[in-house]
Amino acid sequence: MSYLSELVPSRELLVNLTMREIRGKYKRTVFGQLWSLVNPLALMLIYTFVFGFIFRITPAPGDPSGLNFFALWLLCGLLPWIFFANALNAGVNSLVGNAGLIQKVYFNRIVLPLSQVGSAAYNWSFEMLVLVVALSIVGGFVLPWLPFVVIVMALLAIFGAGVAFILAVANVHFRDTQWFISIILQMWIYLTPIIYPASMVTEQSDRVGGLFGSPVTLEFIYTLNPMYHFVEIFRNLLYDNRWPDSSSWLICLAWAIGAFVVGAWIFRRNEKTLAEVL
Amino acid sequence: MSDIAVHVDQVSKSFRMYKERNQTLKSTIMRGRRSVHEDFWALKDISFDVPAGSTFGLIGSNGSGKSTLLKCLAKIYFPNKGSITHRGKLAAMLEVGSGFHHELSGRENIYLNGSILGMSKKEISSKLDEIVEFSGVEQFIDQPVKNYSSGMYVRLGFAIAINVEPDILVVDEVLAVGDAEFQERCFKKFQDFKKAGRTVILVSHDMGSISTMCDHAAWLRQGELVQVGPAKSTIKAYLDSLSLESD
Repeated sequence: MSYLSELVPSRELLVNLTMREIRGKYKRTVFGQLWSLVNPLALMLIYTFVFGFIFRITPAPGDPSGLNFFALWLLCGLLPWIFFANALNAGVNSLVGNAGLIQKVYFNRIVLPLSQVGSAAYNWSFEMLVLVVALSIVGGFVLPWLPFVVIVMALLAIFGAGVAFILAVANVHFRDTQWFISIILQMWIYLTPIIYPASMVTEQSDRVGGLFGSPVTLEFIYTLNPMYHFVEIFRNLLYDNRWPDSSSWLICLAWAIGAFVVGAWIFRRNEKTLAEVL
Repeated sequence: MSDIAVHVDQVSKSFRMYKERNQTLKSTIMRGRRSVHEDFWALKDISFDVPAGSTFGLIGSNGSGKSTLLKCLAKIYFPNKGSITHRGKLAAMLEVGSGFHHELSGRENIYLNGSILGMSKKEISSKLDEIVEFSGVEQFIDQPVKNYSSGMYVRLGFAIAINVEPDILVVDEVLAVGDAEFQERCFKKFQDFKKAGRTVILVSHDMGSISTMCDHAAWLRQGELVQVGPAKSTIKAYLDSLSLESD
C-alpha cells in the first residue's frame, strides 16, 4: 500500500482541511459546536415517540447489562448511522465542491474526501462521549468496553471513507450521485436494525421460510448489509456490555478494508483527470 | 545537466470536445454509451529546457496553450504524451487565494493555504511575520477574510504563495494584482528569487514586464512551439509576427 505512505506528507494538510470544515461549519452561530448534538437528539425524540411510544417496539433488555431504555438503545445504533450518513453526504460533494481548488493547486486530492469523513468523525466522537456518559449514569458498565468501541468506530470510519472515495469520483462524472445517495441512505436506515431490533426480522424470516422454494431466507439477505454488523457490534458493546460475535468483527473488518482498498484504487485511477472533468 | 531546472520532453495534451456530453445517468443510459467527443490538441509535441536560475516567460496569443502548459507544469493536468521532469521543489501560483475559507481569519487562512501549497506548520510559523508584513494587512489579520477588500485578499494570497520559497515557481498572470506599490514589492521579490538562484516560469500578456523580467522565453502558437531562446529575440519575433498579421 504505497498509496497510504504518500498520505503521510499530506497529514498536516488533512488536519488543516478537517479543521477548516469543523471551524467553518458553526461560525457565527450562538450555540456553536452544540448544534452537532441537536440533530441526533431531535431524531432520538422523534423515533422514541413514534416507534417506542406509539408502535411499542420493545427491544430485549441489555444482556447482561439489564438496561431497558428505548432511547438509549436507539442511540447506540443511531449515532454510528448518523456519522455514516453525514460522511457519505459530505464526502460525495468533496471534489465537486472544491473544484476551484483542484483546478488551481496541486495537492494530494484524496485529502478532500478524507477531511469530510474526519470532520464527521469529530462530531460523532462528541456524540458518543455524551452517550457513554448517559449509559454510565443509568447503570451501564461501558468503560471496560471503550477500547473496543474506539476500534469499531475506526473500522466504520475506514469503511465510510472507502465508500466516500467512490461516491466522490462518481459525482464528478455524474452529478446524479449526490441526489441518488440521499435517497439510498433514507432507505438504508430502515434496512438496518436501528429503530427496531433485528430479532423482529428473524421472526418474520422464520415465518416466511425459504424464499421462492430456495434455502435463501429473508434473514440471510438482510444480514448482507454491512451496517447490520456494525450496528450489532455497537449495541453489544455499548448497550449489552458483552463481547460481540467474532464473526461480526471479521465481517466488519473485511468490509472496512475491502471498501477502502477498492475506493482508494478507484480514486487513484481517476485523480489525474479530475481537473479536466470538473 | 545540472543547470536545467525543468525539462519538457515532447509534451502533447489533448482535451475532449464534447458534442453531446453525458453528465447525468439518464443521458448515459438513454444513449447507451459514454459520450460523443472529438480530441482537441491544446499542446503539440512541445520540448524545451528551462535553465536553472533563469526567469522564463511563456508568450503567445490567447488560446495558444500557455495556460495549459503551465497547468501541466503545475501537475494539475497530466500530458497525454511526453513528460515533464524538474529538479527541486516546484510551487505553482495559478490563482492567489484559492482555498481561502471566508469565515476564517487571515491568520487561520495563512496556515490553511500554506499547507495546501505544501508548507509544513513549522515553516509557516517561522514565515508568518514575513507573510503578514509582505501582504500589508497587519491590522486585519485576525478578521475573517470575507471582510477583506479584494486587494487585501489577493495580496495575502500572493504573500503566502511567494513565501513557499520553492526552487521553481510557476506563475500565471498574477502579477497584475495590487496597487503600484505592491507590484513594486512583488517585482523586488522576484529579483531576490533570481539572486538566490531560483527559477521562475511565468505567463503574461504584458510584453513590457516580460522583457524587463525574463531572460529566456518560449513562444507558443496554437499549441505549437514556435521559438525558444533568449527573451529579447523571442519577444521581438513574436511582436514582429503580430504587426505582420495586422498589416
